[in-house]
Amino acid sequence: MKRVVITGRGVVTGLGNNLNSLMDGLAAGKSAVQSMPDWIKYKGLNSRVGAVAPLLNENEIPRKNRRSMGRISILGTQAAQQAVLDAKIPPELLTSSRLGCIMGSTMGGTEAMNEAFEIMIPNCDLASLSAMSFFKCVSHTVSMNVAQYLGIKGYVMATSAACASSLQALGLGFELIRSGRQEVILCGGAEELHPIVAGTFDILFAASTHYNDEPKLTPKPFDQERDGLVCGDGAGVLILEEFEHARKRGAKIYGEVAGYATCGSGMDMSQSNCEGMISCMRSALKDASLQPLDIDYISAHATATLQGDQAECEAIEQIFGNRVPVSSLKGYIGHTLGASGAVELAASLEMMEQGVIYPTLNLKTVDPKCNGVMHVRKAIKKEIRAFVKNSFAFGGINASLICKQLKD
Amino acid sequence: MTEEQIKKMVNEVFEESFEIAPERLKPEAKIFDDLGLDSLDIVDLVVALQKKLKVQIREDERVRQIRTLGDIYNFILALKSEGYVSRG
Repeated sequence: MKRVVITGRGVVTGLGNNLNSLMDGLAAGKSAVQSMPDWIKYKGLNSRVGAVAPLLNENEIPRKNRRSMGRISILGTQAAQQAVLDAKIPPELLTSSRLGCIMGSTMGGTEAMNEAFEIMIPNCDLASLSAMSFFKCVSHTVSMNVAQYLGIKGYVMATSAACASSLQALGLGFELIRSGRQEVILCGGAEELHPIVAGTFDILFAASTHYNDEPKLTPKPFDQERDGLVCGDGAGVLILEEFEHARKRGAKIYGEVAGYATCGSGMDMSQSNCEGMISCMRSALKDASLQPLDIDYISAHATATLQGDQAECEAIEQIFGNRVPVSSLKGYIGHTLGASGAVELAASLEMMEQGVIYPTLNLKTVDPKCNGVMHVRKAIKKEIRAFVKNSFAFGGINASLICKQLKD
Repeated sequence: MTEEQIKKMVNEVFEESFEIAPERLKPEAKIFDDLGLDSLDIVDLVVALQKKLKVQIREDERVRQIRTLGDIYNFILALKSEGYVSRG
């Protein structure tokens, strides 16, 4: 099988509209979470905090491309543009059938969907719907808009597995390249902050509700005072490329994708399942031909839900014991859901490049039920030979991807 | 509603919905060739004109004959004369 490397990275988060702003925010211990006072109008929505990404320079996208984009697709397109520039993809490669695009999201364009229903429902009137409503709503809105904008002619696909969407996009891209189906794929995901999504978690008592007036203190992954997740805007795109192809064109290589696994827990729709997580991480290690001792960092899914953080800690402890540093980035940028896997993978790659591991923000007192792993409480200098990125989604869907330093 | 008011409102639709600079909005401007709209834009043009001018034109066969911005002015004026544009 062919080797797969990462040659480009692009992100948009609440900490800014590029990877540097994200890394600067992590280094400074900065939170992008803010109060969402307008959400008070929604009865039953008790979580009024979110991490809002700045929407900058969207008019640089020509109107004919932008007209079919909701906020989610604009964020995704900007991340994709950054990644293409970072990877120095030449135009003839970008538009060749050897290059594809796989982008995930939780449910497509939520604001566009909301707008369509607001037009349609009061008077049962479809005649007032814009021709663009469908293109802004659909579950593949990000991938199709990115592909149209960049002129991509290879595989164009959308993954949709809520919080595991973008890690599944990366995993699928990895498998397509190593099997020789594509040479380069833009992989990732995007998400737009919207009360529909935050409300979904709130209804299930999984969203943070006690810090509406102190937004910077939440979410608190692994902390004994954690009270749930905080949703955030975001987009992340990685350029996956076949190793020889990247080497021949002299591309900078940020790391090698060593292994990937995704699996169902088959147990519960909403509750995290420790056994499923263990199975997923073990399968990824086996796929990567690595041992637990080869892993120097775990970028946890850990969203600050009571049950999810505990299950992930127990799963990590069973495989790795307490010798591998573990941190969650949700405290900085909220849970970017369908974008989170790609965004946090991009940040982890940069940590591998810099030899630093950033801590879990807002972790003050570790919950005794999460105490079996090595939590990163302050930034540590450490060589990362290989790391695991986890994403666990509603529906009992698990995904783990392992990256390592490139060794010829 | 006067002819000038109708022209102003139609032009506003082109500026707001399709980001076309006012100086390009001349009566002889062809909607596809000169103003750069395409078939998807026409759907939204109809929706925006209906909303702005409080008219129903989607099912009107005369829409298919429109080629220029001036054709739109004349079409709306014709609707006005037929009593379909009620606000003045």
